[in-house]
Amino acid sequence: MEKLLQLDNVTAGYDNGIVLRDVSMTVQDQDFIGVIGPNGGGKTTLIKLILGLIKPISGTVQRFDKQEGSFIGYLPQQSQIDRKFPITVQDIVLSGLMSAGGMLNRYSAKDKNQASDLLTQMGIGHLARRTAAELSGGQLQRVFICRALISSPKLLILDEPNTFVDNRFEHEMYELLQQFNERMAIMIISHDVGTISYFVKTIACVNTYLHYHPSNIITEEQLAGYNCPLQIITHGDVPHTVLQKHDHSHDHDHDHGAVSTHETGHKHD
Amino acid sequence: MAGILSYDFVLHAVEAAFLASITCGFIGAYIVARRMVFISGGITHASFGGIGLAYFLGLNPIFGAAVFSILSAFGIRLVSKQTDIREDSAIGILWSFGMAVGIIFIYLTPGYAPNLMSYLFGSILTVTPTDLAMMGILAIVTATVFLFYYRTILFISFDEEYARSHNAPVETFNYLMLTLVALVIVINIRVAGIILVISYLTIPQSTANLFVNDLKKIIILSMIISFAGSLTGLFLSYYWNIPSGATIIFVFVLIFMMARVIVYLRSHKKKNSSVLER
Repeated sequence: MEKLLQLDNVTAGYDNGIVLRDVSMTVQDQDFIGVIGPNGGGKTTLIKLILGLIKPISGTVQRFDKQEGSFIGYLPQQSQIDRKFPITVQDIVLSGLMSAGGMLNRYSAKDKNQASDLLTQMGIGHLARRTAAELSGGQLQRVFICRALISSPKLLILDEPNTFVDNRFEHEMYELLQQFNERMAIMIISHDVGTISYFVKTIACVNTYLHYHPSNIITEEQLAGYNCPLQIITHGDVPHTVLQKHDHSHDHDHDHGAVSTHETGHKHD
Repeated sequence: MAGILSYDFVLHAVEAAFLASITCGFIGAYIVARRMVFISGGITHASFGGIGLAYFLGLNPIFGAAVFSILSAFGIRLVSKQTDIREDSAIGILWSFGMAVGIIFIYLTPGYAPNLMSYLFGSILTVTPTDLAMMGILAIVTATVFLFYYRTILFISFDEEYARSHNAPVETFNYLMLTLVALVIVINIRVAGIILVISYLTIPQSTANLFVNDLKKIIILSMIISFAGSLTGLFLSYYWNIPSGATIIFVFVLIFMMARVIVYLRSHKKKNSSVLER
């Protein structure tokens, strides 16, 4: 196991207030973490911290990346993207090589081949010459996954990947992610606990504080205990395991070093 | 046709139209793609303050305009990022403030300001070889930046946050591009005037965007539309003896509307034929 990322007692927020308090977590190279939590609970802030887009107010974020840039691949929320921006699908994918490909140069034939291979693997090879505006939400999502993958990252982060995605692809995507997980760690943000808990190995619930749950089985009671006001919903053939109750005598969510043990300032008490 | 080209001022106007089409092709495509049209309008009008101040101090008005436009461009960005003033409000404030400063200083300057109207409405027929030289240098600088950094510009414009997560120098680039936007606006004020320069930066680009949807292609096609429209406007204004700047913009809009109709008819035809095929 190789440690990729470590957050120690991180507090973070914006001008209008603190969003995350005293968060500690470690990401290892085989991890497949589902990050759940209510809207406004700090899921996106957590991702921004990891990506280095914002600095913590206190605490530390360490990235153990040997090479620059291509360490993290990231799928943004669709709402952040201007879908009418004049850019081709191939260019979007290649933009994932921003640092690796150099600022000045044109991309090599090898990079271009890699881009079209990825697109083909995602079943949208024929769209390479199209522009963003011509694609459906689901197709664009796949393009962004290609962009995140082209730099062969060690950690893949997906921010709400299932919004705007057609159901058929959603299932396919989770299966692809499990393949990718053999090569990289994955963090997936969702408020759809039911679906992701079937695929992920562990769950982190973010609601100002972070509660780490080292298995993919989570119950309503646990969510309540985490002060995580989410509902567990099961989808068709997907997993009754979600609702399965399990012996909770071992206090595993507290021995992982990921949960705040500092009770001072814990407003939920 | 060959007759009117024998006049120096007509030749200069054609050269100015060509260079304006180059610089505005690059920068206009950039601001249209990034939805920066309003901020560009603000920069343009704020530069009038620099023109007024330069008149008052006896300096070159273009120099004053350049300083004011760059400062206002940076000012709008800084104010909207660092304070709780929203960007469009900051633009509105600087837009009108620049105009006010310009009017006051021109009023305070003794004597009559003869070229004032040409700064407001542009006068492509009176561009001097010095103007042309400045436009030429700026065209070379702009083309060089786009040739070397096209992908960086494209990627940062498309998804700033992703670029930032890859340690790309996003802020530096934004300020570099903002400087270029300001300079291109100021240099082209000579051609199209403060009130009309935004047309060179938006109408040909929006027309091109009806047909192509790739930044590179929008740049090239908008340059062609821009130059063709400028020439048509110039000759019409020459024969009908009406103001050249306004005529050029009128032609731009006509081209845009014609293009829109063509695109509409084409998509309509496609729809109808696909219905028949079924």
